Amino acid sequence: MKTVFHVDMDAFFVSVEEQFNPELKGKPVVVGGRPDQRGVVSAASYAARKFGVHSAMPLRTAAKLCPEAIFVPGHPERYREYSGRVFEVLSRFSPLVEMASIDEAYMDMTGTRRLLGPPLAAARKLHDAVGEATGLNCSIGISATRLVAKVASDQAKPNGMLYVLPGLEAQFLAPLAIRRIPGIGKATEANLMNLGIRTAGDLARLDDAFLGQHFGQWGVILAAKARGQDAGGWYDEEIGADTGPKSISHEVTFSQDTADRALIESTLARLAEMVGRRLREHRLYTRTVQIKLRDNTFHTITRAVTLGRPTQLDIELIAESRRLFREHWPESRLTRLVGVQAGALTAGEGQLSLLEAPEERRWRTALGAVDRIRDRFGESSLKLAGGMRGTFEERVHENPAGLPGKKK
Amino acid sequence: MEFIVNKADLARELNLAQGVVEKKTTILILSNVLLEAADGQLTVTATDLELGVRCTCPARVVRPGSGTLPAKRFLDYVRLLPDAEVTVKVQENHWANITCGRSKTRLAGMSRESYPELPDMPEALAAIPASLLGGLIARTIFAIAMEETRFTINGSLLVLKPDSVTMVSTDGHRLAMVEAPAELPGVVGLYKALVPKKAMLELVKMISESGPEAKIEFSGDDNHLFFRLGDRVLTGRKLSGNFPDYERVLPKDHQYTLTLNREELRGSIDRVAQFADERSKSIRVGIEDNELRLFSSLSDMGESEEVISVEYTGAPVDIGFNAAYLSDFLRAVGGTEIEFHFRNGESAGELRPQGGEGLNYRYVVMPMRI
Repeated sequence: MKTVFHVDMDAFFVSVEEQFNPELKGKPVVVGGRPDQRGVVSAASYAARKFGVHSAMPLRTAAKLCPEAIFVPGHPERYREYSGRVFEVLSRFSPLVEMASIDEAYMDMTGTRRLLGPPLAAARKLHDAVGEATGLNCSIGISATRLVAKVASDQAKPNGMLYVLPGLEAQFLAPLAIRRIPGIGKATEANLMNLGIRTAGDLARLDDAFLGQHFGQWGVILAAKARGQDAGGWYDEEIGADTGPKSISHEVTFSQDTADRALIESTLARLAEMVGRRLREHRLYTRTVQIKLRDNTFHTITRAVTLGRPTQLDIELIAESRRLFREHWPESRLTRLVGVQAGALTAGEGQLSLLEAPEERRWRTALGAVDRIRDRFGESSLKLAGGMRGTFEERVHENPAGLPGKKK
Repeated sequence: MEFIVNKADLARELNLAQGVVEKKTTILILSNVLLEAADGQLTVTATDLELGVRCTCPARVVRPGSGTLPAKRFLDYVRLLPDAEVTVKVQENHWANITCGRSKTRLAGMSRESYPELPDMPEALAAIPASLLGGLIARTIFAIAMEETRFTINGSLLVLKPDSVTMVSTDGHRLAMVEAPAELPGVVGLYKALVPKKAMLELVKMISESGPEAKIEFSGDDNHLFFRLGDRVLTGRKLSGNFPDYERVLPKDHQYTLTLNREELRGSIDRVAQFADERSKSIRVGIEDNELRLFSSLSDMGESEEVISVEYTGAPVDIGFNAAYLSDFLRAVGGTEIEFHFRNGESAGELRPQGGEGLNYRYVVMPMRI
């Protein structure tokens, strides 16, 4: 029997902002941008949530719902730093830690009883240690499965702990709305509702054959989930089983749809530069470069190219994404969003090159120096000129940066 | 047009032409061969617009003229005919009647009007012994890049000097260069051209059918290269782009040199390579204390090691190589002994035949970081 902790930071982005500006405490706070800005809410404080504000809601809607809210821009670097501190604390409690996003983690705590005491006592120590290192509150769910631990931490919020004793998983889930079960989204919820299934208990009572008939393989997974088992996709894997990222990407929505090719290319260059920076941070090389383009009608395309050999150099990522853009995006198309992704990541660069060695070596050295300068003076301290026009405010997103994360 | 031709002659020329015909062309006429009958001979022409071949064989011309027929279908059919005389009669409506003994076939052709014209070969610049040129190609063609990139092109560099012929290929990871003495009085100073890989493959085919004394006449105009061997002319579009500065890549000196038996090394590499990663094909080469050690391992499959005695007392060196790159060379090179020059795991290694087989043959390979 495993003991799994799910540690979820309470109103993470807002709480981090409070560390820098204590006056925000207790007030309705919205992180993400100005109220008149295009874009969505990254996070809302508990006081703002009372007004119906939630993340992923357009900023303008949030301003309407809660006019007195304090709107603050996101600070991705702060969140990354705090996320790193949390990870550090968690790593002291278990070697098996998996950051599921920037503000939540699964920990395999099996076999820590002699060292840390029974689960609730260990959770208490963990909670306090996180608070001490960051000044932030977190909620902790404990169970024999990851799925139930996650639901438990959600139920324990804010600033609480909940231990679902082994054997009581199904009983704990039964009264909860099916939507509370991780992996059940809008579409599945609607389908289940149509069948008269409203709670996890309703779902667990159905036999596999019935679910199989209606949902195929997914139905069997659903039934297992409703009983509190780890099933389906990512839940099938062990905590920390694969800590390397599968891809690294950055994307941005323009504040105004644009057909300015130079601006779009410059933005792609900036995104590619950010991807390159993170590749080097993770000591990874990529073999595929993919760009993502969305126009004003939300028509979205992705186009990828496989490189002759792995790279982690910005200039190559920039050249490839520009080439893809020029080949695949028609002139004068109004563009809403662009993104750059590096996939097929490998740990080594493998075959060395005979021909471009001197140039490549110079770039490697130069970018290494650039990285060290950024480490000391911040991400915006040094940029490639090609991406200058494409500079934008980095959006707050929930992907873990610089930490072992879940694969996409 | 009507002509009578020996089946073996026709099949041979069509077969050569077939190598040039593009298999998946969107331009229908390019999957046809052009047949021209005049003055006691049949001329067969094929082109994919990049490469063209023109060859002739004796024929009894009943009525001079020309026409085009689907290359593959025509060849496939002719191959199946008995060894006898074949009569081909192309009618006004472009259909061909093919008769051989009691076999009769009608084959739909197309008008020659839309068939592209091949450029005429200018006066020959040089006459290179065919076997020599074949040897140069065989020693370099394997190092040509699979695809064109910023740094490489899908062909080889041919350098002619009054007293030598040089051919160089590279894919950015390795480079093969071979230089042979030759008397080319027609060449003034230096002549350089980029030869497409496909042209080289066709040349090899032509050369393999020629006698030991045969010579290839070579010339070029602004856009094309021409190779004439007997009754056959191969025309290739020159590749544009710049070939890398290969002389800069060739190491000036090496720290260490080993002499190895070619067959022994090749056998060892081939065996060890069985346990190399399928994609990277990386193996380790360790040199220490009078031993060269080849090693590979695949985490779940197994591992393999070979030890070869060498004369070496320098500092221990560990280098990763793509095994395929090494065995490509060992297959192409002649002679019994080869020299392996190296410095360390970061620098280019070099292989050469010992004594040089009368050629200046150098093969430079970059290591893998492992």
